[in-house]
Amino acid sequence: MRYLKSWIEDYVKIPCSNEELFELITELGSEVEGYEYYPAIDEKIVVAEILEIKKHPNADRLQLVKLNSVKGETEVVCGAFNIKVGQKVPYAPAGAMIEGHELKEAEIRGVKSCGMILSERELGLGQDHSGIKILSSSEKIGRSVREVLSQDVIFDLEITPNRGDLLSHKGLAREVAAALNKTIKEPELHLKESQPKASEKISVEIKTENCPLYLAKVIKGVKIGPSPQWLKERLAALGLSSINNVVDATNFILFDVGHPLHAFDAKKLAGSKIVVKDLEEEVETTTLDDKARALISGTMAICDKDKPVAIAGVMGLKNSEVDDQTTEVVLEAAIFNPKSIRRTAKSLELPTEASARFERGVDAGAVEAAVDKAAKLIQEIAGGKILAGTVKAGSEPLERKVKIEYEKIFELISLKLSKSEIDQILTRLGFKIENGEAIVPLWRHDIYVWQDLAEEVVRLAGLNKVKIEALPRLAKKPAQTDYHRREKIKDCLVHWGLTEVINYPFLSEADTIAAKVDPKDLLEVANPIQEENRYLRNSLVPGLLKTVAKNPSFDDIEIYEVGHVFSKKGEAVHLAIATSGKSSRQVEIIVRELTDKLNFPGKEFKIIEIPRDELKRFKIKKASVSIAEINLDEILDELKLGDLSLKVSEKKIDYRPISKFPPVKRDLAFIVDKKVALEDIKEEILKVSNKAVLVEPFDEFVSDKFGKNKKNVAFHIWLESRERTLQDNEAEAEVKKIIEALSTKFAAKLR
Amino acid sequence: MNLRAGHLHPQTRYIRSLVKIFEEMGFEVVEAPEVDTEWYNFDALNVPSDHPARDVQDTFWLKDGRVMRTHTSNSQVRAFETRKPPVRLVCPGVCYRNEATDEKHESTLTQFEGFYVDKNVTVGHLFYVLSHAIKKMYANNIKYRLHVHNYPFVEPGFDVDVMGKNGSPRDDVGWMEILGSGMIHPIVIKNMGLDPAEYSGFAFGMGPDRMLMQKYGIQDIRLLRSGDLKFLRQF
Repeated sequence: MRYLKSWIEDYVKIPCSNEELFELITELGSEVEGYEYYPAIDEKIVVAEILEIKKHPNADRLQLVKLNSVKGETEVVCGAFNIKVGQKVPYAPAGAMIEGHELKEAEIRGVKSCGMILSERELGLGQDHSGIKILSSSEKIGRSVREVLSQDVIFDLEITPNRGDLLSHKGLAREVAAALNKTIKEPELHLKESQPKASEKISVEIKTENCPLYLAKVIKGVKIGPSPQWLKERLAALGLSSINNVVDATNFILFDVGHPLHAFDAKKLAGSKIVVKDLEEEVETTTLDDKARALISGTMAICDKDKPVAIAGVMGLKNSEVDDQTTEVVLEAAIFNPKSIRRTAKSLELPTEASARFERGVDAGAVEAAVDKAAKLIQEIAGGKILAGTVKAGSEPLERKVKIEYEKIFELISLKLSKSEIDQILTRLGFKIENGEAIVPLWRHDIYVWQDLAEEVVRLAGLNKVKIEALPRLAKKPAQTDYHRREKIKDCLVHWGLTEVINYPFLSEADTIAAKVDPKDLLEVANPIQEENRYLRNSLVPGLLKTVAKNPSFDDIEIYEVGHVFSKKGEAVHLAIATSGKSSRQVEIIVRELTDKLNFPGKEFKIIEIPRDELKRFKIKKASVSIAEINLDEILDELKLGDLSLKVSEKKIDYRPISKFPPVKRDLAFIVDKKVALEDIKEEILKVSNKAVLVEPFDEFVSDKFGKNKKNVAFHIWLESRERTLQDNEAEAEVKKIIEALSTKFAAKLR
Repeated sequence: MNLRAGHLHPQTRYIRSLVKIFEEMGFEVVEAPEVDTEWYNFDALNVPSDHPARDVQDTFWLKDGRVMRTHTSNSQVRAFETRKPPVRLVCPGVCYRNEATDEKHESTLTQFEGFYVDKNVTVGHLFYVLSHAIKKMYANNIKYRLHVHNYPFVEPGFDVDVMGKNGSPRDDVGWMEILGSGMIHPIVIKNMGLDPAEYSGFAFGMGPDRMLMQKYGIQDIRLLRSGDLKFLRQF
């Protein structure tokens, strides 16, 4: 949810900086996901100092102003006369956004103006356009004006599902106040009410267990029209559009105190009656967003004498909508059962700000205050008279009590606090302490057990006060498991030259056709977001074939995967090996290593050789792919794996981001001194060419035929551009760079 | 430099280094299925279907009513079907989120879970294990912060964020969440078949994919499962 700092300050003054505020809120359990200064002033607009003011040679009502901005001196044409040399003013260079347009350098009456200096209106801060906005003389030249003048901040918080009470400015203010050991200030509401009584105009009946409380107020004689500027701005800051004064007022209250209200046109409520009930049959309706929706039986609806007029807690219906002709408004404020609202919002696929709050639980003790505040606001901005009294059906829920297990709390959070310190923290958060029990405030719906109280205590006391405790030492080392066995197998395969691949476990419809797998044998996903995620693989083979297809520039593909496969019979871990390309070995060779060295049961392997015309289905252009697959679960116990302790290599890796454009592959061979390390040559190649993505040695041969103490080394080099396919001439340029660098550093001679 | 050297997947190597760090603290490896029942993945962990906490994780449902696990936490209640406390376990594995994929979001992720259940386990024990592990994972070279974060399966719950490259909390490369943790909720302890008045525990789950992306400067999470040998053969 988005919050406006100045709106929070309606309730509690924030004494710290923005950064400190965000850190505090995050520590309390809601993460700050982003923020921006408000009003939004383009960051390019900076503080500049006036160095000189001259008359414009061609216009009496214009001046030439020389400025010192952080980029040096610049000159603008200016139509204001309230400026003096030495003042600091907001300077917008070309490229800055002013009043919705991008500023360009311009010639004004024959003199070039490199930007503008700005008035308050041009900055978007107010209506004043009588002169340039003068800034404090202490402002640093070059500083972003937004930081100087936009005092307000809009920030976005991730509110976890347990804290519905934070989904409003009042709720967040209350939380921040508790942390700062302050209390929030709420204005007293003195409603001016008139006769007749509201209960003479509307009656309310609850016929469902899903609505514990329903309140209604009536405002007569309203005039629907636009909202005042302050209200439009507050809604706009949260990203909401203004509809009309009455609807805006209810939206305002939702984001202000957190209670979703609904306004009905009183004249559209047949029989002047409101009945809250669960629908007995399906009903076709049109919601306020102009969509036709069928409400299934069991949906809780607000009805008049004849028909549903709102989907309770979710959205109103068009048939009772407040429009330009409305003169009498019925304001609803209620408590609805969270599970019922959630079911309805989900089945209609209609999550709204209202349903989100009812699902999480509203402030059950502030329902009447919310409807009163809304009525007063509507009267102020739309006129009319508030009819006396609030029509009420049902009752507020009782408060919950949780026993404060002081000793258990201290122990769990590893923090020694006195009983009274714990009581104080809970009191700051709105709990009342009575006979060792915490009475949970009606806005909290997440406190049931003493551990919930422990979380409240530790988050306010401060995590840095927790006493760290080492775990008891164990006599025995932890046992080695199937995980260790599989890791050992992986190490052996890597030692023999294979590369590990990890693929997705999904198969699309197209994959099953290419791999000739009957989808009937596969587990199927009911709700895939993407077509690729339709089925679960029952073999690692299709994935490895896709891998081969993806790597046409490699002629020595030797890969393996260890992963889960799925079928109606169950889940198992498989190992599969694939080789392809003219420089690769046959898969049988690898299988033989596994059977000879690790005691793999050879006959359990499924080995397939896929010929060229079959490979076309997988878009593989190589001559053949040979694959072996085996179920590891069934055989792990029989293998002879030796030492199972985990080995983690300290390999130095210099990762190069790869491009989505195809690479150019070059092979280079050199004669160098036999003492030169392959690793050093590779490092030099990567250093000198930023287009080299992968550098692999494939030959090292010491022989006198190359010269005394000389050897031949050869490298595959994959060159790529991040922006587009690398052209041949660019590749040649890189190769030239590499050859020169290696010659200089290692006296390497190209072969 | 071995001419014929092969390449371990960076995820495999990274997970292995995590297992090693926790083995030194006495944690044993346990594994759990990737396809599981709603009970083990959600209900046993105090995430009932009628609660908004379910919406936090987009789920792949199978037509047979089971789920593709949304976290490796399905190992927790399962572990106690064949064990009694004290228990120190880590569970590396693959889990799934039914969301659109892009540079930073994936459908298929690795996670690294850990939990410790015994008598009188406290937040102090959890913070000890987390700070020790973070020091080892980052070789003392990282700025991190710990703060409260609610999850339905722990109470209290905590997140650890590490600071990314640019150091500004505003950017994408600012604070990055690497793990969630907390004291196992008494309802979950009960579902493990244990008496919450007698036993307590802590649990944590981390996202090795993001952590290893940060370590190597990998920008696109989809590269990990791309099968692109230009990527894999660099490691």
